[in-house]
Amino acid sequence: MITRQTSLSKNIVQFCRFLRQKGFGVTIEEESLSLQALQIIDYNNNDIFRQTLKATLCHNKSQLDEFDDLFHEYWKELEKAVDAKTKECPKNKTAFQQQASYKALKKWLHGNRNKETEETATYSTQENLSKRDFSTIPEDEVDELMQTIKFIAKRLAAKKNRRYEFSSKTEMPDLRKTLRKNLRRGGELLDIIHRRPKRNRLKLILLCDVSRSMELYSAFLIQFMYAFQQVYRRMETFVFSTSLKRVTWLLKQKNFSEAMQKLGTENNGWSGGTRIGESLDVFIKEYGKKLIDSKTIVVILSDGWDTGNIDLIKTNMEFIHAKSKKLIWLNPLAGFEDYKPHVSAMKAALPFIDVFASVHNVESLKRLGRWL
Amino acid sequence: MIQLNEIKKMLMEQGYITDDSVAMSVFLSLQLNKPLLIEGPAGVGKTEIAKVMANALQTDLIRLQCYEGLDATHALYEWNYQRQLLHLKIVEHNQQPVEEKEKTIFCDSFLMKRPLLQAITHHKRPVLLIDEIDRSDEEFESFLLEVLSDWQITVPEIGTIKATNIPQVILTSNRTRELSEALRRRCLYLYIDYPDFEKEWMIVKNKVPGIDVKLAEQITGFMQELRTIKLEKTPGIAETLDWAAALSALHIDHLDITIIEQTLGVVLKDWRDTRQVQMSLSELMEKTGVHSKL
Repeated sequence: MITRQTSLSKNIVQFCRFLRQKGFGVTIEEESLSLQALQIIDYNNNDIFRQTLKATLCHNKSQLDEFDDLFHEYWKELEKAVDAKTKECPKNKTAFQQQASYKALKKWLHGNRNKETEETATYSTQENLSKRDFSTIPEDEVDELMQTIKFIAKRLAAKKNRRYEFSSKTEMPDLRKTLRKNLRRGGELLDIIHRRPKRNRLKLILLCDVSRSMELYSAFLIQFMYAFQQVYRRMETFVFSTSLKRVTWLLKQKNFSEAMQKLGTENNGWSGGTRIGESLDVFIKEYGKKLIDSKTIVVILSDGWDTGNIDLIKTNMEFIHAKSKKLIWLNPLAGFEDYKPHVSAMKAALPFIDVFASVHNVESLKRLGRWL
Repeated sequence: MIQLNEIKKMLMEQGYITDDSVAMSVFLSLQLNKPLLIEGPAGVGKTEIAKVMANALQTDLIRLQCYEGLDATHALYEWNYQRQLLHLKIVEHNQQPVEEKEKTIFCDSFLMKRPLLQAITHHKRPVLLIDEIDRSDEEFESFLLEVLSDWQITVPEIGTIKATNIPQVILTSNRTRELSEALRRRCLYLYIDYPDFEKEWMIVKNKVPGIDVKLAEQITGFMQELRTIKLEKTPGIAETLDWAAALSALHIDHLDITIIEQTLGVVLKDWRDTRQVQMSLSELMEKTGVHSKL
């Protein structure tokens, strides 16, 4: 499109590369757009020049906020390079800086994690192989829980879409289809086709942390998982500690004590250590791509205490966030008043979470229902 | 070719007070034939830009208000079924073959054009305002992408309708949902924030004719202070103008605490906000430099 190779256009191409390094998703199309724009403005005026690039290259608020600083940084750097008559382009320098800061960040993250390992003795990297007895978990609370979850599930599932779908019942007539169908008889309306409002059928995936640090809440967790699975059909439940396990079918048992018995015999990973990142990784590799779509809400129930790889959490959370409709993290610890998500795993996950809430008993669950 | 300062003048003549970044974005979107995506808090004049542009370009404004569940039949076209049925009844005893009948009821006069189809078949290049795009769902957004890039709409019964004039598109969003990257890439982006004191003062003086200059200054100062408080719903320029018009209609030439208390409902639309501001009203007044008579 643009063939003339002036130094200005070269500079702009380089500036776009610089922006890309800073996380701007500048495409080639936009580059050429900005060059086109320069043809119709007076680019000798520095202010107008900057605003033109800003208007063509930015796509959201945060980019707009960052742009001016980056613009000045780049052209200042460029001027320096011209003065010194060295061909060193500024992008190399910044790339190096970025790498260094990344390393520092990584180091800091690792350091942080190790410190936590020393401080807390509540979790371990060992898998706990002892079988757990869930039969002591009372059933009476399950009913109440189910009532609350029914309410939440209704809000999740029964949201009426304003579009319509075919209905075999006599409801609203669908004029468009009726007319089409009856045209072959010359427009005599014999068959009337009906429609009804479509419903949003959301799927739900529950990922539950059952490591030792969550043991305090395990009774509640199991009731929660069981009640949810009973009430909500389009749902998959997984538990994880050091490894991941699908427990959907176990929780589908109609009889509560039977379900508990099976859960006890089937699961070995209860109260072990936590490797959130690795578990999420397994989840995505084995199930995620099939199960998660834009009509899926993913709920993670965990306190965020983790001994695994933080980077893995980040990439996997990002993946889930991008693919799913909503990513909800329920943290039982968040119920404490002075709780702040300082755990490094939690920190890594936070940017990708749509709803972060505390759930540790029926009361807090009711509150959550109002939020959704 | 229109120049940048002409755009500014044009907007100014229409009573739209603007700054450099707004003028630049409008200018580029006109010159490069690109849709303009405008984001910003409520009541800062996002929709107004489209109206002003239509006025300035002396063309029609076609508006598509988005809402959850908005679909193609409401955005593109729909057949006028009732009329089709009536027509079929009328020609019932006609010996026309069925194909003929079908042809007649699927022609232009039975087609109800919705905003998008209207915009691309308009005789003069119109301004198409797609308002509050963030309220529509993702499906509609991706459908819109198709229209925005091809400028043609296919009606199965008629065929493909190509745009006679590519409309000037303005999209607005209140950021209740993040828009997709794909849509952003196709547009120029503009963020309009709450105006600074000078700009807002100018707007008030311009839009509320006959207002006391001193009062306009006080109102603006008060609103600027008000926006620094954390409120449930921060008032925009629309509220400032409503308030200024109300006070002007009451023939008031300066603010005092009783008047503010009485008319606070014009500015604040949330009871928690109202209560919070009432509590700190005297402090606010002091900051604004408005002195109580008492």
